Amino acid sequence: MKFIISSTYMLKNLQTLGGVINNNNTMPILDNFLFELNHNSLKISSSDLETTMSAKLEVESNDEGEIAVPARLLLDTLKAFPEQPLTFHKLDNHTIEISSEQGKYALAYANADDFPTPVNIEDASETVLVGDILATAINKTIFATGNDDLRPVMNGVFFRFTEEALIFVGTDAHKLVKYSRTDIKTDKPAEFIMPKKPLNLLKGVLLGSEEDVQIEFNESNAKFSFENVELTCRLVDGKYPNYEAVIPKENPNVLTIDRALFLSSVRRVSIFSNKTTHQIRLKIAGAELNISAEDLDYSNKAEERLTCDYQGDDLTIGFNSKFLTEMLNNLTSDEIKIKMSLPNRAGILTPVDGLEQGEHITMLVMPVMLGNQ
Amino acid sequence: MFKDCFNHEGFLSLCVFLSMDFREHLRKIIHVDMDAFYASVEQLDDPSLKGKALAVGGSSKRGVVAAASYEARKHGVKSAMSGKQAARLCPHLIFVRPRFERYKDISQQIRKIFFEYTDLVEPLSLDEAYLDVTVNKFNFPSATVLAREIREKIKTKTGLNASAGISINKFIAKVASDINKPNGQKTIPPEDVIAFLEQLDIRKFYGVGKVTQDKMYRLGIFTGADLKLKTLDYLQEHFGKSGLHYYNVVRGIHLSEVKTSRIRKSLGAERTFSENISSEIYMLAKLEDIAEEVERRLKTSRVAGKTITLKLKYSDFSVQTRSKTLKLFIASKALIMEETRTLLYQEPIKDSIRLLGISLSNLNTDQSKSVKTSAILKEEQLKLPF
Repeated sequence: MKFIISSTYMLKNLQTLGGVINNNNTMPILDNFLFELNHNSLKISSSDLETTMSAKLEVESNDEGEIAVPARLLLDTLKAFPEQPLTFHKLDNHTIEISSEQGKYALAYANADDFPTPVNIEDASETVLVGDILATAINKTIFATGNDDLRPVMNGVFFRFTEEALIFVGTDAHKLVKYSRTDIKTDKPAEFIMPKKPLNLLKGVLLGSEEDVQIEFNESNAKFSFENVELTCRLVDGKYPNYEAVIPKENPNVLTIDRALFLSSVRRVSIFSNKTTHQIRLKIAGAELNISAEDLDYSNKAEERLTCDYQGDDLTIGFNSKFLTEMLNNLTSDEIKIKMSLPNRAGILTPVDGLEQGEHITMLVMPVMLGNQ
Repeated sequence: MFKDCFNHEGFLSLCVFLSMDFREHLRKIIHVDMDAFYASVEQLDDPSLKGKALAVGGSSKRGVVAAASYEARKHGVKSAMSGKQAARLCPHLIFVRPRFERYKDISQQIRKIFFEYTDLVEPLSLDEAYLDVTVNKFNFPSATVLAREIREKIKTKTGLNASAGISINKFIAKVASDINKPNGQKTIPPEDVIAFLEQLDIRKFYGVGKVTQDKMYRLGIFTGADLKLKTLDYLQEHFGKSGLHYYNVVRGIHLSEVKTSRIRKSLGAERTFSENISSEIYMLAKLEDIAEEVERRLKTSRVAGKTITLKLKYSDFSVQTRSKTLKLFIASKALIMEETRTLLYQEPIKDSIRLLGISLSNLNTDQSKSVKTSAILKEEQLKLPF
């Protein structure tokens, strides 16, 4: 088994695949990349049992064969090379030898048969999406997902394909983001929950990509295919909470404000907030928004005033500044709207401008009850 | 033997026993005990009672003597004795009603004096406390002198006498404080500890009550020296888990620290009804009140609990408890009621009820957690109602 490949081309692909590999594997074989050579096509795969990702690379070769190569060692080696063709040659003594312009390097390889084979998705449904749209959907929702092992469904992003729209939802019960595209529909409604890790991998590869992504899925697994890459993963098992029911319908108080100004105010004021609750207080009356924070434990406090456009009753409401910052940061619009009803009901953030046709973003954030009210 | 020493306490004692430099780890513990505290306070406040045989409490029909003055003790009057019996032993005995508020007041003054010396103060009751003066605020090396000073200060500030015992652990200090009582003190220095324990009557050992005492006597153990002759295996065979404790204690090993605050284990409230109730709806209404009280107490103490217990006392005085451990700490009335309701309807009520109670245990008294909850109780991050 012998092939020749460009060093940087290989490195670029392996770095993506390397993201699948866990740092502490119970199965040593998972510390390897699986190489499957078929003449001019080399398929490289990595897996953590839950997620398997593979990429097909073009190489110069007349051979066939399969081996598992230590991932960390190979990545470190490739990083150290300037761009050049490398020759990989499988030797008899259970090593694979890399020849570069500078010299020779031998890596002990493992048996390819030990490497887990990815699941076959039977009775699959199918949807096609532009790469960048999927990446944006992931990017908008994944930060809102939870990390609570007691509620694993909330640790993933909910994918819901309906006849009216594609909907993506992330929530940790404190905040919620719903990203929907009414410009893409399906005639076969379906829904599933994607775990975080493969989503982060997809987001990294797909951002800005105009290529189509084919999504095949059944009850337990999903497969994403695009360009030369395939990612198969197990879905999160369970029922996603009824997110529509928690979005308040009646929100008479509407604040419209410059996103960047509001964000930098929140950032400054939050430095003075209590380190446990991160609570900041928004007091809105007329066209003035008063943002304040106080940490009673250290007698620190801060207060800022911003002019805003406000329609509704005078209102004082507390929010976790971390959540607000995350949400404001995630949006890209110039202006945002916050719709509110009562100090104990969720506030709804939406961008005013900058959306594509058919693109909708709704962000919910639950308040922090004010202590001395 | 070694296997048995690998439980927590056992392992520690083994370290002390075998390898640690004994001297370096010696602590200086003072046990301060007020002399006939309640009775002395009464004599202090009413000089006409001075020098007289006096009993606090015990005057009512079924009353029990809470404390007796030294004059009364001479006649054999002891605390926990029925008033009737005390009057028989000492016909001229004067009975006084206890005034706990006043005792508490004085106890506070005394505690303040302790804190001038060290922050490691473990109050046992209103009239006794352990002080760890190994490191003290005056950096003074002699615990004996400190004890004398503390006793003098108590005398000048309150006019009351205190006795003290000074030694290397709580148990020996406590035994020692009894030796020169009243108004005296006794130091058992490290080098005398072993000899002191060997001559000590087995009844005086920490953890030896009436039952254990009888058992010890039957096994031919009358003094520390007798106890010391027994092997650990032998003691564990006869006394189970406590065997190791006795084995250690007689060798001067008693690692119990001076605990500055007793950690609360549970918190709750209960109500006895003037008339027994049998309707569950009526019970729920009562439980609402109790839950509100529990919430108030939880907030005052700034704790939350994970295990909720519903206590039911039936008209025949039999008591039933139903409890449940939750995944999260709860402290609010709404959540307490939610769980209480499930517990109430868990199984049918078999009889009419005279008392209902709700308590929370498994409290988050661990410091890091309590800081967190106190903040959350004040400024609560709300959740989406999934």
